Amino acid sequence: MSTLVLDHVSRWYGNVVAANDVTMTIGPGVTGLLGPNGAGKSTLIAMMGGFLAPSAGTVTLDGTPVWRHPGIYRTIGLVPETEAMYDMVTGWQFVVANARLQHLPDAEGAALAALETVEMVDAKDRDISTYSKGMKQRVKMAIALVHDPMVLLLDEPFNGMDPRQRLHLMDLLRRLGEQGRTVLFSSHILEEVEEIAGTIEVLVAGRHAASGDFRRIRRLMTERPHKYTISSSDDRRLAAAIIADGSADTVDLTSGNLAVQAPDLGVFVHALPRLARDSGIRLLDVSPADESLESVFAYLVAR
Amino acid sequence: MSSVEPVPGTAASAVPAVPAASAGPTLPATPTGDVIHDIGFRHYDGHRFGRGWVVRSLLVETVRGVFGLGRPAKSKVMPWVLIGILLIPPLVIAIVILLTGSDELSISYTQYPGSMELVISLFVAGAAPYCVSRDLRHGVMPLYLSRPMRRSDYVLAKFAGLAISMFAVLALAETLLLVGALLMKLPVGAQIVGWAGGILTVAILALILSGIALVIAAFTLRRGLGVAAIITGLLVVSGVVQILIAIAKDKGYPTAASYLPALNPYSLVDGLAVRLLGVDPSNGTAYPAGPLGLLVYGSLAVATVGACLAILIRRYHKVGGV
Amino acid sequence: MNPVVMRLTMSGLLGRRRAILFVLLPLLLLLLAGLVRWASGGEPQSTVDLTSHFALGTLLPLMCLLIGTGVIGTEIDDGSIVHLLAKPVPRRTILWSKLIVAWGASLVFAVLPIIAAVEIAGDEGTRLGWAYGVTAALAALAYTAVFVALSVVTRNVVIIGLLYALLWETVLGGYVPGVRNVSIRQWALAAAENMLGDRAPVWGVTSDVSLSAALVLLAATTIGAIVLAVRRLQTLPLTTRD
Repeated sequence: MSTLVLDHVSRWYGNVVAANDVTMTIGPGVTGLLGPNGAGKSTLIAMMGGFLAPSAGTVTLDGTPVWRHPGIYRTIGLVPETEAMYDMVTGWQFVVANARLQHLPDAEGAALAALETVEMVDAKDRDISTYSKGMKQRVKMAIALVHDPMVLLLDEPFNGMDPRQRLHLMDLLRRLGEQGRTVLFSSHILEEVEEIAGTIEVLVAGRHAASGDFRRIRRLMTERPHKYTISSSDDRRLAAAIIADGSADTVDLTSGNLAVQAPDLGVFVHALPRLARDSGIRLLDVSPADESLESVFAYLVAR
Repeated sequence: MSSVEPVPGTAASAVPAVPAASAGPTLPATPTGDVIHDIGFRHYDGHRFGRGWVVRSLLVETVRGVFGLGRPAKSKVMPWVLIGILLIPPLVIAIVILLTGSDELSISYTQYPGSMELVISLFVAGAAPYCVSRDLRHGVMPLYLSRPMRRSDYVLAKFAGLAISMFAVLALAETLLLVGALLMKLPVGAQIVGWAGGILTVAILALILSGIALVIAAFTLRRGLGVAAIITGLLVVSGVVQILIAIAKDKGYPTAASYLPALNPYSLVDGLAVRLLGVDPSNGTAYPAGPLGLLVYGSLAVATVGACLAILIRRYHKVGGV
Repeated sequence: MNPVVMRLTMSGLLGRRRAILFVLLPLLLLLLAGLVRWASGGEPQSTVDLTSHFALGTLLPLMCLLIGTGVIGTEIDDGSIVHLLAKPVPRRTILWSKLIVAWGASLVFAVLPIIAAVEIAGDEGTRLGWAYGVTAALAALAYTAVFVALSVVTRNVVIIGLLYALLWETVLGGYVPGVRNVSIRQWALAAAENMLGDRAPVWGVTSDVSLSAALVLLAATTIGAIVLAVRRLQTLPLTTRD
């Protein structure tokens, strides 16, 4: 009841192509839309939210096209990037108004619940013009959540939040994802995406560069050898053994640890414990040196 | 990292003559030979342009912006459409002279701005918010003022930029009038004298209008509201003054009726022209006769410009503006 | 038609700086009316002069422009309209609600003060009051609808609106007779001419357009503007940067 499907979606403005033949399916759980600035993330989210028509392709929510269907907003909650809001009403009045516009039977109750979720109950009776950037962001979250949507689209939601608010929001998004909702948020900050996104969609220069769990994407990138950092009871002998075995391309002892580059992960992972045991060396620490989203991302962007 | 990676772009900005020894402070090498080279910020010791240059660039940038140069095509439309409209009447007048064979212009050089009040007001209403509202709205004033430039420099640069733009447009119109007159073989001497008077008139008009428009624009941050407020202000003042003059005349206060036009920038300037140059008034307005009238009009013109500048400088008192 | 949208629009319209002008300008008009009365002793001709040119020709279009752009223009400009549009409410309803607020405001802040000004400045019975009241109301409906539509269609609404209302209607209307047939003010004045009957030519309240033609044109313009605004709002592209 909550799957967004983009089918060969493109969007261009004259000669500038903002999104180039993007096909992706956003299902339940937390998905991170990742890409450098200018990659087209906001364009994509605008199209998913029904605010921009694709120049080609279709965007559908459970089969219904999103464009020009205001009814879709019962199911979708949108947290846009724009900061501007209706300044002369209080936070409470604005959230209640939004709840009423959603035709909720108990607008005030829903508004209160939403405000509690974002921890804005204390400040609710102040004019929005007096709010800080982070507070406005939280009000936007409340508005998006007030009608309990199954789909949540957030455009750079962590902008302007202090660390505590960020943690709180991450927690909230994780919970919403676990409840089975479809949560999509865009960011160019890798740490944010790494922490809560189960699936990532990478957008580079308008093209869909990669999709899936970032660890598995890493494994898909077989062209780049895997790097490991090993510390053991005798690095030099282990290095010699690995070289003799041939399961790794390079070994590097200069940095104080044993750094290994292996083209074939499977072979190396099986060979290492055997080599260590055969040489009587104790392995103390084996960690992948570049399995962070950062290296995945850098690789994808550089392609 | 014990190696120094070349940072792309710094090669272009490096000053070649500076020896490596003075390429910035480096931390003392540790016993194991680790060292961090300072390859980031390169200190610039060369020649720097001064305040005057900064002000001049700001002025040029303002003028270019008013005419839409250096901005996307959309923002060129409005100013140039209005300029076009402003330049049509001189052409029309030239044609009329050709057809009727008269020996003088149907509208004098000093009467011309008065007849195009609306278009000129629209032009300045569109230009002034562009000059100041954007900087205030987006809070970039601290950026400006952290340069070797004072508040007053900024204000004067913007004011001069707008005034020069207005003057250029109006002077162009006056010159077109002259060209048309000369082409129609009107007596040269009289035309040149008239033209000079017209140029003086529009110069004063440009100063006053720029001042008023900038003041209003500096207090209305949204561009749309700024335009509306300026045009509302100018038009309402013009209309109100007209009505007050009519009332004063009806009630038999001709002296009051002759001083009231000073409240409207257009008739203020016209009155000055009439008294200083002896030309005919536009719209048949009656201006005060003696030296007192000239003094009042003149000092009001100067005071208006001065007051506007003072208000503007005061407005920018709080850095960050908003 | 949606009370929530209407209430939000009202607070937006009246809570901003431009609301000062909504009070200031009518007050100015009333003051002038008082002065006119003092000067002419209630002579209807002076009232006509005040109203036909300043009130109807300058003040009314300006007020409608300020109101029309205030109900929707600023929200589109800074993007806050996304909160209204991301709701299961038809765009047509949103536009109607805003338009009704705009009409209401223009009636309260422009039309009523004009009627009051006419009465203060001097009337013959209540003929001028009624005539100008109807004229102003018709013109306000049309002007406001046009300016709301322009606000949705372009970001340069203020300049274009001013160019039309002032340059086209006032200046060109003075020089080029044909222009007067395409002018909201002239259409509305036809109603005044009709209502004043035989007094109209005496006071100089004339219009180049016949009453029936004027009413048709006013309706067509208003409806056309509304249709344009709704259609444009339905496809309004809102990207959040990038």
